[in-house]
Amino acid sequence: MNAQLRHIIIRMFVTLLVLIVLETLASSLFPMFGMTRYRIPFNVLIVLYITFKLRTPWIPVMVFLVQWFHSIFTVEGWEIGTIAGVFVAIVVSYAKDLMHFSSVMITMVLTQVFQCVWLAVVIGLLSLKGAENFYLLDKFWRFIPESLILSILSPFLFSILDKIWASSERGMLGDDG
Amino acid sequence: MIYGQLDIVCIRKINDTESLLKLVQDSTQRLKVFLTVLVLGISFFRFAKRDFAYRETTAFEEFMIDSFGPVQRAFADSQSWLSDLINHYVANVNASKTNEELVKKIAKLESTLLATEETIKENQRLKELLKFGQNLTHQEVLAQIVAWDASSDFRVIRINKGAADGIRIQSPVVTANGVVGYIYRLTDHFADVLTILDPNNRVDGLVARIRAHGIIEGYTDRRALMKYVTRTEPVILDDMVLTSGLGNIYPKGLVIGHVAKIERQSYGITQHIEIRPAVDFSRLEEVIVLMSNSDASKKLEWSALDAFDGGSDQ
Repeated sequence: MNAQLRHIIIRMFVTLLVLIVLETLASSLFPMFGMTRYRIPFNVLIVLYITFKLRTPWIPVMVFLVQWFHSIFTVEGWEIGTIAGVFVAIVVSYAKDLMHFSSVMITMVLTQVFQCVWLAVVIGLLSLKGAENFYLLDKFWRFIPESLILSILSPFLFSILDKIWASSERGMLGDDG
Repeated sequence: MIYGQLDIVCIRKINDTESLLKLVQDSTQRLKVFLTVLVLGISFFRFAKRDFAYRETTAFEEFMIDSFGPVQRAFADSQSWLSDLINHYVANVNASKTNEELVKKIAKLESTLLATEETIKENQRLKELLKFGQNLTHQEVLAQIVAWDASSDFRVIRINKGAADGIRIQSPVVTANGVVGYIYRLTDHFADVLTILDPNNRVDGLVARIRAHGIIEGYTDRRALMKYVTRTEPVILDDMVLTSGLGNIYPKGLVIGHVAKIERQSYGITQHIEIRPAVDFSRLEEVIVLMSNSDASKKLEWSALDAFDGGSDQ
């Protein structure tokens, strides 16, 4: 257990470095070239990878860490993304044995489906907080291109994260947790 | 038949009990459930407590923002250097630099002229009533935009000046053209500005021509909404909207924008007004942070209110 935790900490650190590089690109480089309306939410992709591919009880903590580092680059905060991420992790845990990332297309489709679940959770939470309809509708319209770009990027980014986590089809370290 | 159904129910109950027993016995499962409940609990608690007026940073958050801010700034600087090179040397447009400076100077002069006109109007209308706040001057800090918010839900910009430069939480941020927003999150060397395009930013504004009040709230990435303006107010297209000075954040008379769309129904008590901001957010590079001694201003307001209360008591 301790050896596994040590592996997780080291790999998580590398993953967070990747997240920081991607967030820096999304927050400073893309808007400078006129991409001010849309951003690519790389944090969502990394959280989805963690929930899809890793089999460890530490997933909620890892989701929190990704979201906390994401909050350095946004005033969104870590709370709403953590709730959405953990909820997605719970849904994925029931469907994990049915999900096989055997092709690029399946990876993209699964990423798209679970981004929709993420959006549903976030919209539900924002509605509870009293967000207005026009804001939620605008969020939905922005979600369509952003999520499509993210799904297209997912096989490439997942292959990088596979190398970091040495993940196989059975999950990281073959743990059944 | 009934016995068969009862058997199925019994088998299901046994399975449920077995899975529950497995959950209790399996330490990994226990840890997983514990962590999930813990993380969800803390997240829900913090989410419920969240306020959008401003955000305080912890020491570690401050350290992280100040560490990664220079990287974002390096990206911004390289882009600015590249565009300067192309505009002024590669494209060989010698006059473009002078033109840019002149345009900025004209915009600044127009803004000064408008402020003067507003002061004259104010003096005529209010005489000596609001004199107590006029002797407070604003210090200006010029800042460069280093990044935009990483989430498209928020229209927030990050600038390269922070508490070390004298900036405070909720200091107003402007350009020569008009209002940009206010300081939402602050570290020693960087600050996040919540722009007027963000739905969480609410500014008390007034239509300059008819002095009708309303609340300006972010709407889309190019427009803001002016809410709570009664249907009977004769607002017309291109009417200028200014800050009213209420709310203790923005000084009075700053340009917010112009009326771009009006929808007035035959029912209801308010009208739908969309504002086109005076600031072009897609081309924003530098901003000015206004710093006033807000504590002194608040003290003056309180003493004025106390004096009023004392007078009414007598």
